[in-house]
Amino acid sequence: MKRREFCKGVALVPASGALLSSFPRLADAATPDAATAGKAAATGSSQAGKVAGSKTLPGYAENFLTSDMDGLGPDGKPTGIKATFTGASQANATAEKAMAHKMKLTREEQAILDGKEGEEKAKLMKILVQFGNTFGADELVDLGGAPHSNMFIGAPYMASMIRMLDECAKAGLKSYAPYTVNPRPYDVYKVQNNAKDMEMIYEGYSSQWDLDYVHARLGAPDLNYRTCACYLEEVGNAPEPGTYVAWAESSAVNYGNSALGIRTNRNGAGMDLLQAMLGKAPKFGLMTDEGRKAKWLIEVKTSKEPDWGAIGTAIGRKCVEDIPYITGLEKYFEGGKVTADNLHLLKAMGSATASSGAVGLYHVEGVTPDAREKGRDLLVNDYQTYVIDDKEQARIISTFENLWPDKDADPTAAFIGCPHNSYHEVIKWGKLVTEALDKAGKEEAAIPVYMFMPNPVRDRAIEEHGELISRMKQAGMHATNMCGVSYAGMKGFSERVRGVTNSAKTRNYSTLRYFPDEILVQTIVTGKIPRGA
Amino acid sequence: MAKKTFKGRPVLSGKLEGKALVSKQPFNLTGSYLKNMFAGETATAPCTDSTNKELHEKDLKGAIICTPQTVGSTMGAGTVMMCSELGVQPQAWLFSSHIDSISSGGLIMDDVWNGKRVVTIDLLGDEFLEAVKTGDPIAIHEDGTVEVG
Repeated sequence: MKRREFCKGVALVPASGALLSSFPRLADAATPDAATAGKAAATGSSQAGKVAGSKTLPGYAENFLTSDMDGLGPDGKPTGIKATFTGASQANATAEKAMAHKMKLTREEQAILDGKEGEEKAKLMKILVQFGNTFGADELVDLGGAPHSNMFIGAPYMASMIRMLDECAKAGLKSYAPYTVNPRPYDVYKVQNNAKDMEMIYEGYSSQWDLDYVHARLGAPDLNYRTCACYLEEVGNAPEPGTYVAWAESSAVNYGNSALGIRTNRNGAGMDLLQAMLGKAPKFGLMTDEGRKAKWLIEVKTSKEPDWGAIGTAIGRKCVEDIPYITGLEKYFEGGKVTADNLHLLKAMGSATASSGAVGLYHVEGVTPDAREKGRDLLVNDYQTYVIDDKEQARIISTFENLWPDKDADPTAAFIGCPHNSYHEVIKWGKLVTEALDKAGKEEAAIPVYMFMPNPVRDRAIEEHGELISRMKQAGMHATNMCGVSYAGMKGFSERVRGVTNSAKTRNYSTLRYFPDEILVQTIVTGKIPRGA
Repeated sequence: MAKKTFKGRPVLSGKLEGKALVSKQPFNLTGSYLKNMFAGETATAPCTDSTNKELHEKDLKGAIICTPQTVGSTMGAGTVMMCSELGVQPQAWLFSSHIDSISSGGLIMDDVWNGKRVVTIDLLGDEFLEAVKTGDPIAIHEDGTVEVG
């Protein structure tokens, strides 16, 4: 598939966030047959209050509690959040009203539900209708564009879901259009190319082959197109504004709804593909005009260009899953246009809102499609206001405490690009680092630099900037199409690696330390974190 | 104690009785089943969420879990399905708030696709969670009515 061809082949026209610290050995666990399991549950009496569990938890699972949203504040106390993680707040819902809700189906949809197109499709429709009714959907809508899936963890604990998808594939079901998938959780070519890591990977992700085989049959292209930033032009999954899609992956949903103007809810693992196979999604929340209204006016009043990851983190913590309408950023987008050269600013801010909170859509005044069309009419009447000035930005950055076990030690690796780097970012970082090395009279960076990007972006960079890419490789900058957060979640990672990153999203999910670009460049060149940084 | 009645929405209806296991903080779905996911534990479901002082190390298998909602990794739907595959799932989920997408996707998929139902009631209200205590007798009815005491 050639560059930008992905979407041309599409027939018609959405934090955690993955959590990946894992190398399970569930395959070794007893797996009772369904009948036994069901009986055990049906007859199981409440164990309320009883201490249980004789088995020992392996060390590799130790970081698993670091999650997208654990419902606890910095003080360890419950925050009282009421988030559905769909991007649609249901904080004011009542049981009586919710129970009365039933979605209307077309004759065609009812026929599918009745089994006219096979048992598997009927089951999928039943799941979708029930899911839609649960969240107050009025109807199912036909999907356009192309799906994006976050089903990327081939760990045995996902086996039941993978088996469901495998049964769909065996029944001949397929996505309505070729779709993109999140990056694989590992790279044994360039990143984890050592015996210890490889052993853990092949043990821990022992269902990866099964999952990749499912994707191949349901309609995903080859693994070169694996990325969380499916909307980059080199990958080409960027549907037209207003298109209904069913995306998963918090950062992609967030960017798609906001910068592209597509309409998707934040789908959890599995629900994305189920909707793709039916070509339909329940319309609620972020797919509706009402659900795209903003409850927060965010006024960015920093004296200089903001730290995009920091303000994104601030917004996510404040809004949780409500929608912000952000002012003060238009000047950073010439002519109010989001282009290949500036989209990384929104990518950095948005992914931080989606990982520190559960924001599935934001509006930037004068920039994003909804805001350009409707302006402040997007604000609800009783909206709240939050001002981010220099002081507030500094306060947020100060909350990114140093989580390294050895706090005063030097860094050992740099992680650039979460979500995946755009072409513009790859070239920018290549120049920043190699020019700084040249200035310092050094051939090689003091620490390895992992540059996360989809393969088509890497290929374009090689084609158009071969000399720079060659110099980057000599300097110890490694291009990889894996998921960086997955690497940061590996067994013993924090003991072995003291990472630094430009990604607030990665910081929100791991022990990596977050720094502005100029500090990172100095750190990469010298292997030391500048004093006072 | 005097019996108290609460009316919720049956997301997955059913009739059963048992005892409450209460977490007033949101239940971290993936973080609570680590021993089942990674240690080969199948006889019980010890809560592995050390941040959850009410439930840590208590057995979740066959329990009626009363909590505001679930939180955690978006892969949580896979955890829900794994629990029932291992036979360590709770008897019921009783949520005071609106159900979230993390648990609902997995619970509905498991119910419809695999025929494995965990009774699930949501929107029971903050008063429900204020009233219920671990060990309280619970009766759940098909229409979403929950009796405590």
